[in-house]
Amino acid sequence: MKKLVNFFLFCILLFSLFSSLSLAQETNQSKEINIYFFWAEGCPHCSAEKVFLSKLDEKYDNLDIHILEVTKSRENAELLAKIGNELNADVSGVPFTVIGKQYFIGWYNEETTGKAIEDAVQCVIKNHCADIVSGLITQITQKEQPVSKNLIPEKLNLPIIGEVETKSLSLPILTMLIAGLDGFNPCAMWVLLFLISLLFGIQNKKRMWIFGGGFIAASAFIYFLFMTAWLKLVTFLGFILWVRLAIGSVALWAAYSNFKEYFTNPTGGCKVTGEKKRQKVFEYLKKIITERNVIIAFLGIVALAFAVNLIELVCSLGLPAVYTQILALSNLPGWLYYLYLILYVFIFILPLLFIFIISMKTLQLTGISTKHGRIARLISGIIMLILGLLMIFKPELLMFG
Amino acid sequence: MKVLKFGAVWCSGCIVMKPRWQEIEKENSWLKTEYYDFDKDKEAVEKWKIDKNLPTFVFLGKNGKEFLRLHGEPSKEELLKVINENKNK
Repeated sequence: MKKLVNFFLFCILLFSLFSSLSLAQETNQSKEINIYFFWAEGCPHCSAEKVFLSKLDEKYDNLDIHILEVTKSRENAELLAKIGNELNADVSGVPFTVIGKQYFIGWYNEETTGKAIEDAVQCVIKNHCADIVSGLITQITQKEQPVSKNLIPEKLNLPIIGEVETKSLSLPILTMLIAGLDGFNPCAMWVLLFLISLLFGIQNKKRMWIFGGGFIAASAFIYFLFMTAWLKLVTFLGFILWVRLAIGSVALWAAYSNFKEYFTNPTGGCKVTGEKKRQKVFEYLKKIITERNVIIAFLGIVALAFAVNLIELVCSLGLPAVYTQILALSNLPGWLYYLYLILYVFIFILPLLFIFIISMKTLQLTGISTKHGRIARLISGIIMLILGLLMIFKPELLMFG
Repeated sequence: MKVLKFGAVWCSGCIVMKPRWQEIEKENSWLKTEYYDFDKDKEAVEKWKIDKNLPTFVFLGKNGKEFLRLHGEPSKEELLKVINENKNK
């Protein structure tokens, strides 16, 4: 073990030595292409673009990246305003990047915004486009250090497991943790329990499996759809500061609600609420179960699963919303977002699956202790508090990938 | 002594408590218990004012008066302790 630790320390040392050597080489090279990168502290999309610019800096020898923070430096903010006038561009949002005559507002990912930035660099290289900003700059008063080089190796070769990307390690763990906590208090559980109790009455095993399975599959699907839609929304709006602050506030509210539930309901148990809603669902389910046509009955159950899960989304106390915001902050390939959402939903429905399968096998209603749910609420509260604070004050720490 | 047990099919905690009570009843055959479904037995629910959370266990003395009420998921040991301490009530 000690040898392994020493080996890793040696690797890190070697890596940082090479990094500093290459940095020294770069500073000696002539810089021809200027990139003006305006950013604000606490802006996650700016941090994502910074990482990309760092890679771009390594790829091209002749880049000069001017990193200009606009909230702390009045000169930088004034320069940005001047550039906005010159280019007739809206400079109310950051990141704002200028290369030659081209400018870019916001940051989506490396495949889109990143590619457009690199194309602009290529354009300057090939066409020697004029540098609009250099004419405007009388002096850049606050030129910061080049983008910091990473001292932690991006990939590790682990025995048995193989090559693992260090940055991507924590997101799967966080996904499983949040989804697991969300799953411990699945708000659709009471409907499933009622459905199973009714299914016992129909004495038709095949129908029982189809109806129960259909309900769980539809619940998973609507959850996935909701989270995908939410992810699209926050990815689109995520660079706006107030959206991030709003979701951070949702996390803090969720933390408060979880703590409150934990301390005010020390004995566990199920709260008696929504009398009318419950009666409606019961009546509807009774009707569906006795429907002779299996297809109509199945569609009825799927429709109910959709309705119940949508209505009950609020009861999940912001966990899926906060999780999708973390995903949106992360810089991942498009397909990986969906894979994470599938992982989340799968873990989320595990308790429902467990209850259904055990009940079907034993032909007895099976429940999950509400005491576990109570502990899950306490852990949820702590995690939501940490995530909420990070999202508001240190969002860059929540950026994976 | 008599124990009124209030539960519902949609309540996971009530389902968890069922086998726990079955064991206690088997070991203490003298103990009288009655189960009421929260959605079906409205009369008993209203009479005993069950309106907070489920399951709820109402402990009655010989005179039919309530002397203790428990909510949630008490352990078998906790329930046995209450039962044995109040055996003669």
